[in-house]
Amino acid sequence: MSNATRQYETTFIVNASLDDVQVDGVISRVQETITKNGGTISSLNKWGRKRLSYSINKRTNGFYVNIEFEAAGTLLAPLERSFQLDEMILRHLTVVLDKKAIAARVAAQTASALSTVSTEEKPIAPAREPLFTEPADGKNS
Amino acid sequence: MYTTRRPRRERDNQTPRKKRTCRFCDAKELYIDYKDEKKLQRFVAEQGKIIPKRITGTCAKHQRQLVRAIKRARHLALLPFVSDAIR
Repeated sequence: MSNATRQYETTFIVNASLDDVQVDGVISRVQETITKNGGTISSLNKWGRKRLSYSINKRTNGFYVNIEFEAAGTLLAPLERSFQLDEMILRHLTVVLDKKAIAARVAAQTASALSTVSTEEKPIAPAREPLFTEPADGKNS
Repeated sequence: MYTTRRPRRERDNQTPRKKRTCRFCDAKELYIDYKDEKKLQRFVAEQGKIIPKRITGTCAKHQRQLVRAIKRARHLALLPFVSDAIR
């Protein structure tokens, strides 16, 4: 069973005071450690610079990156180690995508695919605006 | 000896309390994602505390998933442990 691969998802925060080229360098280093250790990256999302909810190492902003990949469990130790050694990475979180998470992802993809199909079929139908937009955060007002 | 007892508060029968339902069950959600901080924020008090399920009406199964998602989001600084206003 040691060869069994699983779906993982890792999110990490890169020091936002670096410029974009350097951030890309950090990301490519992470990608390298994944691919070199026998993992395959299925998607890479850069969320970009975001404000942190609390300061980490006296920094209030971070560049968020999210990578989904498929790999054997043996990959994780070197990956986590590389995260810890890299001083430009403030935080990281690696999570196994369980059945439910994968199912939710597939459902979301099919839903988006369906919506694009329906818009292609009926291009004349005006896109309806939502009547009420729920406040993003009602409590903290 | 008689002790003065506070009269039990009674709800009038005309307006029965509306049964709260689990939002995640209603929406038939498969997975509560830690990345969706806007959704998680609804289940967090102003201070940043997780709101108990007896207040929100979330079912036990989804509350467990929710709590895990909130804690993951906190680790990634998507949600605060303690909000700025309190600190």
